[in-house]
Parts: sequence; C-alpha cells; structure tokens
Amino acid sequence: MELEHQCQCAQINEEELYPKLEEMIEQHRGKPTELIMALHKAQNLFGYLPKKAQEIISERLNVPISTVCGVISFYSFFSTVPKGRHSIRVCLGTACYVRGSQQTLERIEKELNIKVGGTTEDRRFSLDVVRCIGACGLAPAMLVDNDVYGRVKSTKIMDILKKYE
Amino acid sequence: MATELFRAHVLVCAGAACVSSGCREIRDAFVIKIREHGLQDEIKIIETGCVGSCDLGPLALVYPEGVFYQKLKPADVEEIVTEHLLKGRIVERLLYKEPLTAKAVPSLKSIDFFKYQEKIVLRNCGIINPLNIEEYIARDGYMALAKVLTSMTQDEVIDEVMRSGLRGRGGGGFPTGLKWKFARQAEGKVKYVVCNADEGDPGAFMDRSVLEGDPHSVIEAMAIAGYAIGANQGYIYVRAEYPLAIERLTWAINQAREYQFLGKNIFETGFDFDVDIRIGAGAFVCGEETALMISIEGKRGEPRPRPPYPVVKGLFDSPTLLNNVETFANIPVIILKGADWYAQFGTEKSKGTKVFALAGAVNNTGLVEVPMGTKLGDLIFNIGGGIKNNKKFKAAQLGGPSGGCIPIQYLNTPIDYESVTQLGAIVGSGGLIVADEDTCMVDFARFFLDFTQDESCGKCPPCRIGTKRMLEILTRITHGEGEEGDIDRLIELATRIKQSALCGLGQTAPNPVLSTLRFFRDEYEEHIRDKKCRAGVCSSLFDAPCQNACPTDQNAWGYVTLISEGRFREAIEVIKADNPFPGVCGRVCFHPCESKCRRRQIDEPVAICALKRFVADYDRNTFEPFKPDVAPSNNKKVAIIGAGPAGLTAAYYLACKGYKVTVYEALSVAGGMLAVGIPDYRLPRDILDYEIKAITDLGVEIKYNTVLGKDITIEGLLKDGYNAILIATGAHKGQKLNIFGEDAEGVLDGVTFLRNLNLGKPVKVEGNVAVIGGGNVAIDAARSALRLGAKEVFILYRREKEDMPAYREEIKEAEQEGVKIYTLVAPKRIIEKDGKVIAIECVRMSLGEFDAGGRRKPLPIEGSEFVIPADTVIAAIGQVPDTSFINGDGIKVAKNGTIEVDTKNLATSKPGIFAAGDNVRGPASVVEAIADGKKSASAIDIYLGGDGVITKSYRDELLSLRVSYNEEEYQKERPREEIPHLPLSERYKNFKEVVLGYPLKKAIEEAKRCLHCYIREEE
Repeated sequence: MELEHQCQCAQINEEELYPKLEEMIEQHRGKPTELIMALHKAQNLFGYLPKKAQEIISERLNVPISTVCGVISFYSFFSTVPKGRHSIRVCLGTACYVRGSQQTLERIEKELNIKVGGTTEDRRFSLDVVRCIGACGLAPAMLVDNDVYGRVKSTKIMDILKKYE
Repeated sequence: MATELFRAHVLVCAGAACVSSGCREIRDAFVIKIREHGLQDEIKIIETGCVGSCDLGPLALVYPEGVFYQKLKPADVEEIVTEHLLKGRIVERLLYKEPLTAKAVPSLKSIDFFKYQEKIVLRNCGIINPLNIEEYIARDGYMALAKVLTSMTQDEVIDEVMRSGLRGRGGGGFPTGLKWKFARQAEGKVKYVVCNADEGDPGAFMDRSVLEGDPHSVIEAMAIAGYAIGANQGYIYVRAEYPLAIERLTWAINQAREYQFLGKNIFETGFDFDVDIRIGAGAFVCGEETALMISIEGKRGEPRPRPPYPVVKGLFDSPTLLNNVETFANIPVIILKGADWYAQFGTEKSKGTKVFALAGAVNNTGLVEVPMGTKLGDLIFNIGGGIKNNKKFKAAQLGGPSGGCIPIQYLNTPIDYESVTQLGAIVGSGGLIVADEDTCMVDFARFFLDFTQDESCGKCPPCRIGTKRMLEILTRITHGEGEEGDIDRLIELATRIKQSALCGLGQTAPNPVLSTLRFFRDEYEEHIRDKKCRAGVCSSLFDAPCQNACPTDQNAWGYVTLISEGRFREAIEVIKADNPFPGVCGRVCFHPCESKCRRRQIDEPVAICALKRFVADYDRNTFEPFKPDVAPSNNKKVAIIGAGPAGLTAAYYLACKGYKVTVYEALSVAGGMLAVGIPDYRLPRDILDYEIKAITDLGVEIKYNTVLGKDITIEGLLKDGYNAILIATGAHKGQKLNIFGEDAEGVLDGVTFLRNLNLGKPVKVEGNVAVIGGGNVAIDAARSALRLGAKEVFILYRREKEDMPAYREEIKEAEQEGVKIYTLVAPKRIIEKDGKVIAIECVRMSLGEFDAGGRRKPLPIEGSEFVIPADTVIAAIGQVPDTSFINGDGIKVAKNGTIEVDTKNLATSKPGIFAAGDNVRGPASVVEAIADGKKSASAIDIYLGGDGVITKSYRDELLSLRVSYNEEEYQKERPREEIPHLPLSERYKNFKEVVLGYPLKKAIEEAKRCLHCYIREEE
C-alpha cells in the first residue's frame, strides 16, 4: 500500500472526496479485521479522519462506531482534527535525543510559534514528534511530509522549511 | 531470461538514510554521465538497500574492484566516470579516510567499519537491488525454500533451526527452533506465521534495513516457517513510520507471487502459502506480541496476559508463530549452509551474529553485524571508530527503553544474551546508543521513562500510574527539585512495577532507571543534594553550561558578554570574583567551559579562554588595575603551606575577608607548578608574578625557603597562634621508571628538569633527547629541550596518540616545532657507557583489553626490542605528592601519598587543618587547584566563625544585561576569530611566549559570537 501523502483538502472540497473513499474501501467491505487499513486510506485521502468518514467506514466494515472511535484514539498516527498542509515530525528517538533533537524542536516551536501537536494559523505546518524514524545514523533527524532530513542543525531549520509552501 | 553482461557495476546505496542525504541525485548524475560517455552498455547502475555506514552517505561502490566512494555530491560523479570508469584510475579524493591517520582507504573490505563485520542477516543489503527478484535469486534466493519443500520433512526443518542455536532477535532471546516446535505441535486446523516488523525501539533500525534492502529473505523465511509448522497464511506487521519499507515489501510480495514463490502449489509440491502486509498506526506497545496480534485483528492494540502463548492461541485464536524480521532473515542461510556452519559463530549459548544499530556519540554510525560475543569496546572503538569530537565515553545503552546502560569499566564485556543481562541491560533488538560525557544519566533515564510513559497503553495500573509517578520524580530531580528519599522511592516503585505489570512494556519500563542508578547513583545524588548536573544537560540547575563546567564556577557568560560590549573593567571584576589568576588561566587552562559551549552545535565554541586572557592583559596595562575590596582585619591568623595556585587562591580570598595570612613556601619562588612546572613560552614569568603581587598587595606574607617538616611543623604553627592551617603542597615528586640503568648520568625526571630550568639552575641537554611519557609534563619537557638546543627530540609513549593525556593543542604545537612522537613504544632499559646514557632499549607495545578507565592496556610484544640512541633521557611518567612531612600529626594520608579530606569542606582528620590542590587530588589542573583554594577558604572562614561567603555575585545584573549589537548577524555560521601565534621561525632557541593574545577588535568580535544561552524565555 502506498502511504504517500495524498491529501488534497486544500484544493478540493471535502464533500467531493467521499465517493472516492467509498471506492477505496470497497475491498474491506464486511471485514472488521481490516479496520486499521481502511482508516489509513481515509486519513491519506482527507489528511485527517472526519466524522463522516468514520461513519462510512463503520457502516461498510460492519464495525460499531464506538469501536472505530476507540481504535482511532488508541493509535497516535490517526487524527480527528485537520492538520496543516505539511507535517513536520521531529524525531525524539534515543540517538536523536543524544545528539540534541530537543533543541531542534524548541527552535521550530519558537519559529512557527506553535507547540507540539499544533498547527500554524495559516495551516501551512503541523508539528509533531515521532519516536525514532530509524535514521539514527543521521541524528538529529526530522521528517517534513515524507522527506527525511538528517543532521538538522537548529540554524538550518528555516532553510529547510522554506521549501514547503 | 536474457543475461546482460557488464564490465563494471556502480552500486548506489538507497537506504532511507542515504535517500535523505541525496543519493537519488547521485544516481541520476551517474545515469546522465554514463550516457554522456556512451558507457551505458558497459556499466550498470544498481540501487541497493542500506550498506550500513549511514554517516558516510551518499555513497557509491564500484565493482569489480569494490572501491568505496563516500559523501558524494552530484558534481563528483563526472570525475568518477571519467577517471575511474574510463581510465581505471581511482579518485582518491572521494575515498574514505581513516579518522586518525587521514589515510585514504579504497576498498570497502579494508575500512574498519566493515572489516570486523560478519554479514549473515545483512548478506544482501547494499549488494542487490531490492526491487529486482532476480538479483535475489542470483544470490541463492528461494533455494532454501526449494530445499525444504522438495527434500526435507517438517521435523527436519525444525531440527535444523534448533541445532543452529538461533535465538529470537526481537529482544526476548527465546530459542527459535523451540518456538517452531511448539507451533508445529499446537493443535489447530488453521495456523499463522507472523513477522513482527513493528520495530519500535528508538535507536534500532536493522529491521527497516532488511525490509528495504532484502525483503525477499523475510518472505522466503516466512514460507519456510509456514511449511515447518503447517501454516498457509502469513502476516507482516510493519510500522507506519517506514513508508519505504512498506513500498518495497509490497513490491517484493507481488514479485514473489508472480514467480510463484508465494501462492498455491509452490514448486509444485502442493504447499500453499501467502503473505499479507498489515500496517501499524504509531503504537509502541504493538511491538509486544499479544498486542501486535490484536492490532492485526483491527482492534486497539492492548496486550493480554500470557499464557496462553501465541503458539497455542494467537492470531484469530489460532496457533501462531511470531518471529521478528532479523530472526527470519537468518533462516534461509541456516537451511542452505546448515546448522553447524551457523553455530560456528558466536558464543556457547548465543549463536550466530547480531545486527546492532550503532548510534549516538560515535564517529561511525550505522548498522553493523558482528558475531555474538564481540566485545563491547571493540564494537565502539574498532567499528564505531571511537567517540566523536575526542570526548570521553561514558556508557553504552543497549536494548532501548527496556534495556540498560553498560559503563566504561565494562568495555571488555562480550555482547551475548547472558553477559549483557548480568549487567542489567539487554541485547534487545540491538539498538546501541553511545553516550559520552555530555550525556546526563539522570536525564537519559528520564528520557526513556518519558517514552514508555507516553507509550503505555493504559490497560494495567502499575504501568499506567506507576511509570507516571516515576517520571514525576525524575522530572523533579532534573529540575533541581529532588528531595532526599527520591532514590529509594524510585527503586521501590520500579520493583513493584516490574513485578506487577501486565506485559513486557511495563515490566521492563523501570530498567533504564534501575540501570543508571546501579552505575551512576552519584549523578543522581549530585542532582538531588548539590543541584548540580555535571554533563550540563539539566538546564534548570545552571545559567549557562560554560559556568557549570568550570570547577571555579567562573561566570564565563557574564564576562564574555561584557567584553562584547567593550566593558572590560566590569569584565575583570566579574572574573576576579571567582579567580585571582585570570592571566594565568587565560594562558594555561584546559578550558572545560569551551567544550560545553552551546556554540559548538553551530560551528566552534566561543574562545572563552583567550577572551579571559585578553581582558586580564588589558586590565594589567591600565593605569589603575582592578583591586578587590578588603574587609577590615578580624585579628585571626591563617597559615598556608605552599604558594601554588591552591594556596595562593585561598590566601587571596581569606585576605579579602580580613584574615592575616602567611604563606610558607619551600622554594625560593612563589607560584608552585605555575612557576617551576610550566615553561616560560607558555606562561611568561612576569604574568604570574603580577598576579601573585596582587595577592601580596592585600597583605599576604610569603615566607620563602621554608620547608614543612624541616623548618616548620604543624604543631609549631598552631603554637605560634595560627587559628587554621591549609596544606597545599602540590605534587612535585617525579615517578621513577623502575628500569635498569635509570641512575646513569643524563637520565632526568621531567618535573626536576623543568624545575631546574625555571629556577635558572644549569640544565644540560645534549644531542638526541628522548622524553618518556604522554602527559603535559612530557610535552613541556620536550618543547623546552628543543629550545635549549637539543639536536633531536622525540617522545616515546606506550599507547596511541589519542590516548595521550596532554592537551591536544600542546601536542599539535610540539609536533609543529619538530618534536617527534613515537607511539606504542615503552623503554625496557637504559644503555650506558662509562656511567653515561648512550641509548635506550625499547620494546613495541600492542593494545589489549580495556582497563577500568576505558583505555586499552599496552602489552609488550615479545621479540620486538630495538635500540634508539639517546644522549639525554627525560622520564615524565607522572608525579605524586610528597607528604612525608606528615607523621604523627593526626592527619590521615592515603596509600598513594594524598591527604584524606572531607570532600565537602576539604577538612583533614585533624580539626583546624585543611588541605587543597594536588596533594589531595593527585596531579590535576590549575583550575581545579584554584577551585580547591576557594573551597578551602570558604570552609576555613566558616570554621573560624565566618559566613563562608567569599565571592561577590554579579549574577542578577548580568542576567538582565542586553547587548547593543545585532545578535542575529553573529548567530549564523561564523568560525572563531583566529588566535595569533608566534611564527615557528621565531621560536628557535628562546622561550618567548608562543600563543599571543587577541587584539582589542578581534576580542570584541569573538565575544559577540556568544549565543547568550543564559537568557531563558519566561515559561
């Protein structure tokens, strides 16, 4: 499965995406065990999990909506609120921690004036932390969307972020 | 299938780390350049999985030669194509250079990082294109599957795995074959094979590399397992954080289906097997086997109690065999090469190899695969290339949030399941994070607990609430709010959680705390009692790391900021509040402040030491240099024995407090080692004399040529009415070599040599001079000998250059001046003729095991003896305090001659008698002696009824100081202002000062580089 960020919420009205969602989750119809896979697809489509999408999935997969909500709240990857156009995820794995990722994070928080978990007012960036992206050899590392940046010096952060409009 | 033949192959690493370093651009450049030169039919470009040396990427390997090019930029490709691929000439500039010798190493196999590795799991990673199944097949891929399906029974397969001794690589270390046997024996119509690829331990990424670089090896192994236990369906549970792994795995599964290695009737044997991918969603606990299977079922991944174990009742309540990626990757090799072949690697109980993700403070980071039982020290220092930036190794953290630390005294530990567990750590999934002196172990433990606390699923209270309480205590401690009893509370909570938590996550969560408490309890105590973080990490405990690192608590950030504003007078006031010897320390201090300076993360630390010198020199040359305030006399008398930095510092502060201080000095000069140990070219005498005079100007009297034990006694001084006595006699006795011929004429000891030189006594240095030792005295002696007209000066040192205790800058200067350094050499005997030295017989050394201090022990190589002609031999192998004057005074002395004191106040066992400096510590640095002097002055003041406050604090006004220049300009990358040096040509046969001071403008520019990290935003 392709996890590439396909969120098009900025360009297209959310409503127009629902037929596509139905089409995408067709293969999971009546299979409650494939709930997480369906949620991944929905989140890739919308950038988050709107209530209506949850309801559609609940109905198609034959899973109670309470269970759907329970699963969504359990896994940190899923979000029920809209995110920014670009997601910044600073790695706070051990190797990154040893090489100073905390300073990187603080710098971004300061520059974008948001805290971890927040989204900038213009919805350009969302900021989150991740626990190890496996780029320990290049610590400290961060992800912007699916691009990995290694050896991130706090002075170079803004140059990196400039590339994402 | 058409076979294409190529003259050469260019392999470009496309592991996730290299992708982020820009390997795609390198590949594209190769494609373009090779086409440009019309070589596309001769040379093939292959994108491979991770090669392992992530720190060196982007990289390319050129075969058939196996030449390894590193840290490539797209512009470098042209040269590789025209030089190497067209003309066959290796491009040396792009080769890997050995960090120590800077020698270029062309071949992958001769680079230390790869040389010591044994690749079984990673056999194909970095060699094949993971997107091409035929490349996997060409390297015996799917042959193991064919072998088991066509020629082995299920029991034979299981027996082979059992005999190989393979144990689960996910962390548990459970024998894999046994697990397979249980799964086969379990009753159930439907069985499953599950691969745990939810590699969640922060710091471990070997599974990702296998999935990205060799996905078929896992698929093949799962099919083999399916056959062995009687399952027809497999699941790979991959974490969502690994999009590239998911992509390549999906591709590989489709290819395997296409080639009918998966699906119905595989190899026409009637065996059906298929694999599907399930993607995690960011829950660490899903790495726990029961939680993982529940997550595959599409539910909240909460663990459940065991038994029943998954082999009995697992996925969809059916018997399930669950192994992790690395375990599976071993299987095809074991089947093809046999259990006996596999079992030759490793130790008795831990067979085969293990992949470690080496990260943290080491020079070479990346994935390494070594036989089980490889020594921890070898892994870090041979393969890892040692600690970054010449820092000191502190501990290795193994096993992530469930693991523990192994400290420096255990570098000889073989890494296998049993040995590591004995030390309170675990092999775990193989994350190996190296921590150096800049890591605070309390904060490190807090970090891991923060992680597990965050990832606790919340099902069971011990884990949900217990880890929360532990985290609260740790957070308090790191914020300087720790209380007595916190350590006991942590241990009690930890023990309870371990006993009562539901799953592995909770049961092992307290391990990082227990492990750091086991080996670094003193750091916890320092945080709680002294509110001190020696690593300079817990920033609530200090204003800036420079001040925190200084033994004298010197407010470096304050005076640096004042210098940047041109406020030199105030700067010297701030300095002299904590240190009466700024001119000295600005020249000879080893400046621990700079090694902790935050600026280091951008480019180079601020030249704090040179700035101190600048302002000291500036003040000295003003009309009215700074003088401290002196309190009116309190009619109390203190005697200080020894006019070295410790004694004189104490004298300075006590005089300021109104005491009448008399200093008794055995020599005819004051200054101790500063006067008779350090040569003039490093510390000109007038600088020292000026700062000593500033002390005597306060009313301190120095009585020269007065020896304790001969001219005066402790008892006598007390009778003379002294209210307190400080013993600060230093460490001036040179150690003997203890070899034959040591008494011959021309053999000197380093301390005596430098003392005689500094006292102006005649010193004879002729011809070839051999200096033995690797410390500062050795370097000082060697550079002095050169200046005295020696023909040739060489240093003989028994370890390697990076092990030399001398300061790096001094070693560099010595070599530039022409001193030769021969390492791994030790003297065996002095060869004399007519009672005079003519040569030394030496023996070559090799480095063996690690000693308790983390250095390798030098061992003589038998039969390697050789003779070096020498006319003078200077032995500088260390000095010890001579405290023979103490006998029957009631003052306790340790075996090594140091005086025993209460470390809190430097009081000896006899009331009213204190001791400070080298005669307490053993030979140490100037700044530590000054720190001791301050501490003893404060303690003496308290002993005599004072408040113990000896320094004036400028903290509050300095914290509110804001600079007037544009700070942002100076916070971009900007190297430090160069410190001027005397040209080499002007150093010949004289003792003129070598390092010169900053001119005023440069000093101000340099001071502006300070990041003002002491300014904290309001929280």
